[in-house]
Amino acid sequence: MSVPNSMRVGPFCASVLVKKRYLFLYIFLIWISILPGLLELWAYWQALWNDVRPLFFYVYLPLLLLAIYITTVIAAIIFTKMVLIVINILHKPKEGVFLRHPSDKDYRYWSLRNTIKKWPTWLSHKFPFPFLDNLCFKVFNVKTTFSNSLFEGWVDTEFISFGKNVVCGQGAIIQSSVIIGNFLIIRKTIIEDNVRIGAHVIVMPGTHIGRNSILNTWSSTMIGQELEEGWIYNGGPAKKFKKNRFFEDIPIEKLSQKVGDYEGLLKKYDEQYVKREVKKRRLLEKNIKPSFHLKDRLHLRKDKDNDDEN
Amino acid sequence: MENDDIDSNINTEESSNESSDDDFSIDFTTSSAISSVGLKFLVLYIPIFWFSGLVVATFWYGYAAGSTFWIIKLLYLPLFLLSLMFLFIFTSFFFCKLLLILINLMCVPKEGIFRIDTKDPNFEFWKLRIELKKIVLWFLRNWPLPWLDVLAFRFFGVKIDFSSHLNDAWVDCEFIEFGNNITVGQGAVLMSSMIVGNFLIIKKITLDDFSLIGGQSTIAPGTHFGKDTVLGAVSVTTLNQRLEDGWIYGGIPARKFKPNKYAEERTSTIHKVDVDEEEKVEVEYDINIDENKRKFLKRGSKE
Repeated sequence: MSVPNSMRVGPFCASVLVKKRYLFLYIFLIWISILPGLLELWAYWQALWNDVRPLFFYVYLPLLLLAIYITTVIAAIIFTKMVLIVINILHKPKEGVFLRHPSDKDYRYWSLRNTIKKWPTWLSHKFPFPFLDNLCFKVFNVKTTFSNSLFEGWVDTEFISFGKNVVCGQGAIIQSSVIIGNFLIIRKTIIEDNVRIGAHVIVMPGTHIGRNSILNTWSSTMIGQELEEGWIYNGGPAKKFKKNRFFEDIPIEKLSQKVGDYEGLLKKYDEQYVKREVKKRRLLEKNIKPSFHLKDRLHLRKDKDNDDEN
Repeated sequence: MENDDIDSNINTEESSNESSDDDFSIDFTTSSAISSVGLKFLVLYIPIFWFSGLVVATFWYGYAAGSTFWIIKLLYLPLFLLSLMFLFIFTSFFFCKLLLILINLMCVPKEGIFRIDTKDPNFEFWKLRIELKKIVLWFLRNWPLPWLDVLAFRFFGVKIDFSSHLNDAWVDCEFIEFGNNITVGQGAVLMSSMIVGNFLIIKKITLDDFSLIGGQSTIAPGTHFGKDTVLGAVSVTTLNQRLEDGWIYGGIPARKFKPNKYAEERTSTIHKVDVDEEEKVEVEYDINIDENKRKFLKRGSKE
């Protein structure tokens, strides 16, 4: 369990528009969040430095350095949260489809939010334990618990809610916003209790993953896809592979470690892709064109949105 | 609603409540990234940090209080700082190893299937071991010489040497056996443990000489790589899969793609050296073999 040295950047939003004036705010945050740590060091120096016998100063120095790091992270989180509150009063973050252009207010504020959040998330991700990471998510209004492991992959820092006991695999990407062509799409991603997300899985915005479900490695979901509870999913876009019985209270001996018929397994994996093709062809024969238009996908959860507005 | 049928409603008719052997066979791969770490583990982390910090502080005090001319001190400072970093990492190695020996006395690490339950000692100690090892690996990969993480792997009892490199991948640091000259691609995940539902599976991975793992591929527990095996990029192996010697594999799940001709060339050329046809070998070698394999040939021709 070791993070590759080229992938230790922490939660990250690709292609964020960074403007020069956002950079001023960013540098201001870095500056102000290092100050409390320096204050701590100064107080320590005043209390323990002795020119003749500097022993005590050196004995507790390693612990102080650890404390300074944690203080810096917490200060960064607090100051960023304060700036975020002001920004969210100026413009409330909301879901929807926006134009990816600086003239669009939502896009501008989305990139501003993500630029500001970068510093505390990067800093907390540099700490080898996941506590600070989870704290960071919690403060930025991502619903999560400390038992979740969101440490090894990339997870967006807004419009996501996690249940209890979620495992997010190595190199998995869980998004709530995505850029497609000239559009920015923000949808709320909901992941419920006991979901096991495999390595390298891509979860797109608006996905709703039900309880006790497992995602196989390299599977990916589509915008607004609903995954039912208690199933194992596979492939891109994710499809039902088999019923998930691994959460039941079964004796350990019953689990078979050997894949008996390997050819059969290959067929099982291939069938999913073939079936999709067959279904598509059947629709074409009936003169119904299968549409993959963005508009159709976004209306998948139309009813829910209407309830929220009311 | 016709459009939605394509994506979601294809396999629904297959749902049945009867249980079969197929239901419990683990023919898919998930991840080993559990970090439901209690704050109690932090108690172990603080002494490691503290004691190795003390060693570094002692050396720093000796350097700062020494009576050498200040310009010379300043000149050697960067080198000294680098060596202090190395010292810090190695002392933390040492304390980690001490704690690990204690922990392994309490609960011997073993392969098998365990329940994810706080009452199961195997699961709890697995988490503890991983978190302990993580600190050292973290330091080693965050300092300017990340390829030295092989040292950490060796120290924790993984069989590996400097001819193989894995610093750009997620690799579990127990129950893995490496041969010589192994390349692990960027972003690959080598798991000797896997979490499936409420179960934890631990099984040893073995990689034989000259095997190559492509970028972003996922290796499940219990996988065996034969000699000269190549696994293509973006491919996944299933639990306990055995990849045969000298084949190129690829796909999800990994299947045979073609025999590895590149490896044959290497083995045949080196084989000819043994037969002692010196001139032929020289010609052959100019075409096929790159610079760093010259030493193999020279050794052969002298004999």
